[in-house]
Amino acid sequence: MNPLESSREISSLPPLRPTLAGRGWGKRDWVSGRTLGLVAFAGVLMVVMASVSSGFLTELTFFSQSRYVAFYVLVALAQAVCLAAGDLNLAVGAVGSLTTVLLGLLFADAHLSAWIAAPLAFLLGPLTGWLHGWAVTRLKIDAFIVTLSMMFVYMGLRSGISGGNSYTIPASFWWLGQGEIGGWLPWMLIIVLLVLAAVGYLYRNTVLGRRLLATGSNAEAARLSGINTRRMIVTAHMLSGSFSALAAIIWASWSGNAAPETGDSWLVISFAVAIIGGTGLKGSLISPLGILMGAIIFKLIQHSLVILRVNDNYSNTLLGALILLAIIVDRGREQWEKGRR
Amino acid sequence: MLELRHISKSFGPTRALADVSLSFQAGEIHGLIGENGAGKSTTIRIVTGLQQPDAGEVWLDGARVSFRDCQDAQTHGIGFVNQELAVLPDASVGENIMIDKLATRRWGVIDWRETYARAAEHMLRVGLVVPPERLVRELSAAQKQLVQIAKALSANVRVLLLDEPTSSLTEHEARRLFGLLRELRGRGVAIIFVSHKLDEVLALCDRVSVLRDGGFVGTREVGMVNSGELARLMLGRTANDDHLGVLSPDTTAEMLKAEGIVRAGRCAGAGFTLHRGEILGFYGLVGSGRTELARIVIGEDQMDAGRLLIRGKPVRPRSIEESLYHHRLGYVTENRKEEGLMLHDSVETNLTMAVWPRLRRPVTRRIDARASAQVADGLIESLGVKTPGRDAAVGNLSGGNQQKVSIGKWLAADCDILIIDEPTVGVDVGAKEQIHRLIWDLAAREQKAVIVISSDLPELVRMANRILVFREQRIVGEVRDIDVRRKTYAEVSAEIAPHLA
Repeated sequence: MNPLESSREISSLPPLRPTLAGRGWGKRDWVSGRTLGLVAFAGVLMVVMASVSSGFLTELTFFSQSRYVAFYVLVALAQAVCLAAGDLNLAVGAVGSLTTVLLGLLFADAHLSAWIAAPLAFLLGPLTGWLHGWAVTRLKIDAFIVTLSMMFVYMGLRSGISGGNSYTIPASFWWLGQGEIGGWLPWMLIIVLLVLAAVGYLYRNTVLGRRLLATGSNAEAARLSGINTRRMIVTAHMLSGSFSALAAIIWASWSGNAAPETGDSWLVISFAVAIIGGTGLKGSLISPLGILMGAIIFKLIQHSLVILRVNDNYSNTLLGALILLAIIVDRGREQWEKGRR
Repeated sequence: MLELRHISKSFGPTRALADVSLSFQAGEIHGLIGENGAGKSTTIRIVTGLQQPDAGEVWLDGARVSFRDCQDAQTHGIGFVNQELAVLPDASVGENIMIDKLATRRWGVIDWRETYARAAEHMLRVGLVVPPERLVRELSAAQKQLVQIAKALSANVRVLLLDEPTSSLTEHEARRLFGLLRELRGRGVAIIFVSHKLDEVLALCDRVSVLRDGGFVGTREVGMVNSGELARLMLGRTANDDHLGVLSPDTTAEMLKAEGIVRAGRCAGAGFTLHRGEILGFYGLVGSGRTELARIVIGEDQMDAGRLLIRGKPVRPRSIEESLYHHRLGYVTENRKEEGLMLHDSVETNLTMAVWPRLRRPVTRRIDARASAQVADGLIESLGVKTPGRDAAVGNLSGGNQQKVSIGKWLAADCDILIIDEPTVGVDVGAKEQIHRLIWDLAAREQKAVIVISSDLPELVRMANRILVFREQRIVGEVRDIDVRRKTYAEVSAEIAPHLA
C-alpha cells in the first residue's frame, strides 16, 4: 500500500480538541526507567541505613535532613537548567557566595527590611546569569571559559567586600530557613517542592521549557526551526543564577548569618546531584523528580558516611567517585534497555 | 581476493544480515547497492572489523581472517573512506594522512619536515594539490575525501571501501574521484563502492552486488544490466521514471518575489517569482549560489541590496523565527542530522516544535499534550512516516522517514511557502520516490508554493514545473513548462547545458 495515498489531508490539521488519545511527552520524565531506578535506589539506601542505625527512622532525622535535601535541590537546579540547554555553569557557588555577601551588606550596613533586602539580593542571580548568557551568545565565548573566569571574579569580589567576615542576619528573617508550619513542616521544604513543581511544569508543558530543551538537544536544528536559541541560552543562564541566589538566601536565613565562604562547596554538589538525578549531560533532559531523588540519595550517602564514621576529610573523594558511578550506572542501564529492545 | 562466506549478523531481534556471501576481486570496482536497511552498512562494518559476524567467515587471499577491530583490518590492508568524513579538522593535511606513522627522530620527537614530505607523496598519488601544512578544516568536502583516500592508500591498502563517497561532492569533483578510482583499479586494488546512485554505480563499477532486507539478491556484470533492472533488484519492484503529473500553479498569486538580490561574495543579483501551487527547482552545483539565495530569503543571511516580497508585501526577514512566525515560510535544511532534527528526541517533539506557541492553552499557557499528540499522529499518518510510534526517537528512523519528519515540521506550522534543500540526499530509492510524491502532492493538492534546491537534475525534472539554473552566484537560465510539455531529462539537460558551459 502506498502510504502517501492519504496525503491530501496533509495540512488539514486535526482539530485541537482534547481526546483521550495519547499523553504527550511527559512519559520520558516521570515514569522513565531512570527515575524509577533512582527511587528504588533511594529506598534501598534508606532500608539499609534504618537497619544499621537505630536512630535513623525518627521524625527528627527526617525533618532535619529534609532541609539539606531542599537546599541541594536548589543548588542542583542551578546546574541542571544550564546542562539541559547544552551549557554548563561553573559559577554556581560563586554567584551564591556573592549573593550572600550582598544580602549581608543590605541587612548589616543598609539596615533594610527583609522584604526589600532579600529580593534585591536575589536580583544578583538573574543579573549575573544574563551577563554569562550575553558573553556566551554575543561574544561567542565558551560557557566553560565565561563561567570559570566569572567564578574567580565573583570570589575575589566577595572576599574583598566582606574582608572574610560574616554578617549577621536579623532574626526577623530566620523564618524562611528555620521556620516550620505547624511546628514540624519546614517552610524551606515547601518552597523548594513548589519550585520543583514549577520547574517540572516549565519543562514539560510550556513553550519556553520545550524550547530550552530543544536548544540543548540540537541548537542548530532548533535555530533552523525558528527558535531564538541565543535567547534560550541567556534564559537558561538567568534561571541558573536565580536558583543560585535563591539557594544562597535560604542558606543565610537557615544558618542565621551571611558567611562569605557560602558556596565554596556548591560546584561539586551541583554536578553530583544534577547528574545522579539524571540530567542529560549533553542537554535536552531534565527531571525534577530525578533531581529530588538525586538530592535524597546524596544526603543519604553523606549521612551514611557519618554513621560509618568515615573521616570527613575524604568526603570530596567519595563525591567525585559517586558522580562517576552515577554515569557508569546510567550507561549500563541504557545498554541494558537497548539490549532488551 | 576478499570473500565473505555465509555471514549472518543480528542486533537483538533484528536480523541485519542473513547468510550473505560476497566475493571481491583484485583490480575491480565492485558496487554494493541496496535500500537503507538492506545490510550495506553492516557488511561494511564486518569487513572493516568494526563488528564481528555472528556466523560465517571472512577470507582474505585464501586464508581465513577475523578482524578484532578497525586497526586489525587496516594492518591486513583494508582501507575505509566513510560518508561522515572522519578527519581531524584542526590537524594539518599531512598529519591526518600520517597520523599512525609520523616520522620521528630520537626520543619520539616528530620530524615534521620528513612527515610532510612523505605526506606530499601520498597526496600526489590522489591528486590533492594543497600544502600539507594546511589545516583540514579549510578544505572543501572533496579535498577532505581525498585526504581520507590518501590516508587509506598510505597504508598500502589492497581493499578500499568507499561508503557513499559522492554524497557531498559536486559532479565535477565526483568525476575526478572516479578517475582516481579507475587508476587504483589499474594498480590491482579491490574497490568496494557503496552508493545509492544507480547511474553512478553503472558508470563506474565492473560488477554490482545487490542486497535487500539483509539478504544477498545477486551479483551482475555492469555491461549486462541497466538501472531499471538494478532498481528492480533493489526494491523488488520497478521504479518509475515518469513525470509525477501536471501542476496547476495560480500565476496570479505571487507568493514570493525576489528582485535583484545582492550579497557580497554570495549572491550577485538574483530575482525570481514563485507562485501558489508551483514547484520551482533551483538547480546548480554546490557553491553556485542557490542555497545562498535561499538563506537570504529565509532571513538567515541579510541582503546588501535588492527587494523581497512575500505575498506581495515587501519584507526584510531578520531571522528564521521571523520568516516562520510572520511569513509562514518554512525551510527544510539539507543537513538533516546536524541541522534539521533533534535525533534523540521523539518524532512528536520534532514534528511539533515549530507550532508549540499555537498549541498553548489560553489561561495556563501550557502546551496541550493531547493536541500535540494529535498533530503528531495526524502527520505521521498523512505523511506515511514509518515509526513504532510518536514517542520513538527520530534517530532510530531510516533516512527517508527522517526526511518526512523534517518536512512534516513545516506542514504542522501551516507554512504555505516551503524551501526544501536537497530533499533526497542520503535517502534510498524507495523513500526517494515517496518523498518526491509527497512534495509534488503538496503543490498539486495543497497549492503550496515550493522551492526545491537540488543538484540531482532527474529529481527536479520529475517534480518541478520550472527550473532556475544557478552558476557563479547568478541565475543563468530558466527551463519552463517541464510538466506541461512533458520534457524528458535529456531535453531539459540539453536546454541547460549551454548555460553551464
